[in-house]
Amino acid sequence: MSSRRSRGIPRITDEQIIELVSKLQQLLPELRNRRSNKASASKVLQETCNYVRSLHKEVDDLSDRLSRLLSTIDDDSPQASIIRSLIN
Amino acid sequence: MQETIMHNSRELKKEFIKKWVQGLHICCSSKKQMNLLERKNKIKLSADIALASAKNSTTCWSKAIISKAEKDEQNMILVNNLSGSGSKFMCAHQKVSCHKRITSKKILKKSYGFRKKMKKMEPCDHGSNLATCIAKRLVKKRTQVLKRLVPGGEFMDEFSVIKEALDYILSLRVQVDVMKNLVNATTILN
Repeated sequence: MSSRRSRGIPRITDEQIIELVSKLQQLLPELRNRRSNKASASKVLQETCNYVRSLHKEVDDLSDRLSRLLSTIDDDSPQASIIRSLIN
Repeated sequence: MQETIMHNSRELKKEFIKKWVQGLHICCSSKKQMNLLERKNKIKLSADIALASAKNSTTCWSKAIISKAEKDEQNMILVNNLSGSGSKFMCAHQKVSCHKRITSKKILKKSYGFRKKMKKMEPCDHGSNLATCIAKRLVKKRTQVLKRLVPGGEFMDEFSVIKEALDYILSLRVQVDVMKNLVNATTILN
């Protein structure tokens, strides 16, 4: 890295990176059950990417289902108002 | 620490639901007929903008989503209603600093690329250093992928992108939860 970069910006310590990676590991469904010192950083990052992709896909699928469901409900019908009150 | 995360998730959920319902009213309550794909995109867009604005400009990824949405004029009504006028100033500022970052990154990259070539030609030491080399390269590769997945990731350094990914995952989970509940409720009603 050029010297311009390290001036003024505090160096990121290895401990900070390890802490972040372990926090990520806690979130991931795949790796949560294993003991924390077993998973390497690259494995955690790989699982993170997979997890984000699967969450994106879920949002996409749910939007699709909602679109189909909501299109069948007329805006003024009693069902629409029930849904609105449920959400609020 | 877990309790703080749970508490923040609950707060985020409330804010998200509030903003998303607003957004849905804006996009989907018009009487005109929309085809399924249009409606789905509107639902998804309003959910993403609602999630981002519920963070109230506290994270980079949320600001990135909003500034990306603002680029399309069709979304301006939605964005303005959900995020309020305060974020407009933030986004203009973000755009300038992002642009500066992009240009300076380009300059850095040009010099970095040359140095990378030099580095690759250097042989790695034997033994454990080789494993560390490979591990470091793998981490770098994965972080590059993560940068593409997290909104605004291309502008962040590796440490920030991992930090943002943490928050992004938690928020995405909230979004999925709320959407699932709505789908279930609507399915039952039908």
